[in-house]
Amino acid sequence: MKEKILTLPNPFGGDLELYKNTWGKSGEPLSIVSGLQGDHLNGLFLNSHLTQFLDSIMEGLHPHYTLTGQVQTFPVVNANAVRSGSRLSPLDGMDMDLAFPGNPDGETAEAIASTIWQHTKDSFWGIILQSAPPHYEDAPHIQTYKPDGRTKKMCKDLQIETVRRQKESSTQKVNLFHQLQDMSSVIVSTGSPRTINPQQCETLFQGILNFMKAEGILKDHRNKKPKHKTNTRIYQSDEEISVRTTTAGMFLKEVKVGSHLKQGQKIGEVRDIYSGKRLEEITVPEDGLLITLRQYPIVYEKEPMAIILTTKKSWREYLPWPAH
Amino acid sequence: MPVKTQSILSVKSPLGPPIEILKHVFPAQSNKPRVSFITGLHGDELEGLYICHRLTQYLKELETTNPNAIQGEINIYPAVNSQALESSTRLWPFFSLDINRTFGPGQSPSLAVETSQTLFDDLQSSSDIVIDFHSSNLHLMELPQIRIIKDFEKKLLPMAKKSNVDLIWVHPNADIFESTLGFNLNRAKIPALVIETGICHRIHQNTGDQIFNGMLNLLHYTGTLNIAPPPEKIKEPKQVQPDQVAMVQASHSGLFIKQVEVGQVLKKGDNLGKLIDPITGNVLEEIVTHCSGLLFTLREHPLAQKGSPLVRIAKSLSEQ
Ligand SMILES: [Zn+2]
Repeated sequence: MKEKILTLPNPFGGDLELYKNTWGKSGEPLSIVSGLQGDHLNGLFLNSHLTQFLDSIMEGLHPHYTLTGQVQTFPVVNANAVRSGSRLSPLDGMDMDLAFPGNPDGETAEAIASTIWQHTKDSFWGIILQSAPPHYEDAPHIQTYKPDGRTKKMCKDLQIETVRRQKESSTQKVNLFHQLQDMSSVIVSTGSPRTINPQQCETLFQGILNFMKAEGILKDHRNKKPKHKTNTRIYQSDEEISVRTTTAGMFLKEVKVGSHLKQGQKIGEVRDIYSGKRLEEITVPEDGLLITLRQYPIVYEKEPMAIILTTKKSWREYLPWPAH
Repeated sequence: MPVKTQSILSVKSPLGPPIEILKHVFPAQSNKPRVSFITGLHGDELEGLYICHRLTQYLKELETTNPNAIQGEINIYPAVNSQALESSTRLWPFFSLDINRTFGPGQSPSLAVETSQTLFDDLQSSSDIVIDFHSSNLHLMELPQIRIIKDFEKKLLPMAKKSNVDLIWVHPNADIFESTLGFNLNRAKIPALVIETGICHRIHQNTGDQIFNGMLNLLHYTGTLNIAPPPEKIKEPKQVQPDQVAMVQASHSGLFIKQVEVGQVLKKGDNLGKLIDPITGNVLEEIVTHCSGLLFTLREHPLAQKGSPLVRIAKSLSEQ
C-alpha cells in the first residue's frame, strides 16, 4: 500500500510529498529507508525493485511466497533534492541527515525528518540504504556502531561479508541511523552517488530476501532454507587506512572496489592536467580490502584516493607460532 | 616586530595555485591574553570580512603610531574557506560540504576534515580567546548578536557584554552544534564567541563598524590592547533566555511581504507583513505580533515554506 505521510505546500504548485509503502499485517515492521541524500540512487533503485517484488506477492503472482511479517519502505526522503538532481535540498543546502530527530512544526527538512522518525521508531529492524560520499565509490558493505549479536545476525542474514564499525562522531546524534539505535539496524552502503549499479543492487536485493526469510518476515513454501553461510568480518575503525594524494591533478585508477589488494600494488596515478606528466603513483601501503575508491578524477592534495580495510590482524591466525 | 602573514595550510590544487588559509599575526609586547578573529567559514557570509578588514587596518596603523599598545598577540584569519568565498556559497563547493559541521571527533577522512582539524589545532595553540564571525543564511537578517550555549555562559557572558552587540541569547545546547568550531573550542576550554550579524551576500557597514568598535572595547577589556576605550558609547545588549524569544513561523507557503525592519521595537498587535500567493493573487495570511519587544531576526528572502521562520522577537519585560 502506497501512503502519503506528509504534504508540504509549494507556492508555485507541485507540493512536496513524502510516501511510505507498507505490506503485510500490522506488527513490528522491517523499515527500509532510501534517498536521504538526493543523489543516492542505488537505494532508490533497490527499494523500487523490492516494491515490485512485494506487490507481486500480494497480487498472488508468486504463489510460493507468503508475507508473514510487515515491511515498510520510505523510498525518497529528500524529495526536494531528488527533484533538483542534487545531493542536498537546493532551498537551504542543509544536509537531510543532519536534521534528525526533526521537528513537526519546523522547516522543511525538520518536518520531513520528524515524519520519517515517527513512522520508523516502532520498527523491529531498520535498514538505511546509501551510496559512497560525493566523488567516491563503495563496495557493498554494512556500517554499524555496535556490532552486537543482533547486528551480527542481521549482517549474516543479509549475506554481506564486510562490516565497518563506525567511530562515534560529532555529527552522529543528528543522523537518522543514531535514532534507530534501539532496534536492530544497519546502514548498507554501495556504489557511487548519481549512478545506479544494477548488479550490486541485485546482490543486495537477494540479501534482503534472504534476511526476510531468515527472520520469518517472508515464508518460502518451497521449503528452501535461508542461507547462513556468509562469513561476516567486522573491521574496527583503526583497521581502516586512507591512502592520500601528495600531489594534485587527474587521478587515473587501476583497480576496482571490492577487490583484495596486495602491499605495493598500484591503485592508480596522479597526472598533471596541463603537461600530462605523472606526478605520483598511488600504491597500497598494506594488504587489504578496497572498500572505497576515488571515482571523480580531479583531485586535490591530501585527499583520500582509497580506503583499505586491512587484514593484517588476521595474519596472526595463520602464524605458525601463537600470537602474544 | 611588525605583523607577519603566515599560511597555516597550503594544499596543492589541480589547476596550480594552492588553497591556503592565511593568518595575520600581530606580535605582542607582553603576555596578555591572545585573541584570534576568524571569518569566512561559510563562503557567502561577508559581514565578518569587513570587520576583519577594519581590525587589520587599525592594528597595522597602531603598530606604527603606538607599537607598545599591543600587549597580547592578535591573530586574524581573514578568509578561512577561500574556495567557498570565491564562489560565494555557504558550502565548500568541491565537496558540497558545510565545513562548520566537520569539527569534533570521528569524522570520516576528507580534505575538508583535514582542513578543519588544521585550523582547530592552530587556533588552539595560539589563542586564549577566539571570535568567530558569521552572518545569517540567505533568508534571514539578524541584528548584531551573540548566541551562547548555556554550559559556557559563565566564561562567555562577561566578554559578550563588552562586544557592542544588540542582543545576547543564552540557550541550551543542541546536538547539531557539536560539530561546529565554536562548540569545540569552548569544550576545549578556549572561550569562543560566535558573533552573528546581518545577512549573507551583503555587507552592512554601519553594523560592521558597530562590531569593530565592540572588538576594540573587548581587546581593551581583556588587556590585549593597551588603548583608551573607544569614544563611542558601547551598547548594553539585551539578554534573553529561550522563553524570552518569540518566533513567528509561516503557516502557509508563499511570499512574505515584510512591513517591519530589524531593530524595531514592536507593540503587541503590530502588523509584521503578509504572506501572499504568487500565482492566485490571494493574501494567505496577515501576520501580526502577539507580543511586544525587539525585532532581532527578519525574513528578507520572501520565499517562505510552511514552517519557515519569519521573525524573532526578544520579548519586552512586561511580556515575561
Ligand atoms: Zn556562518
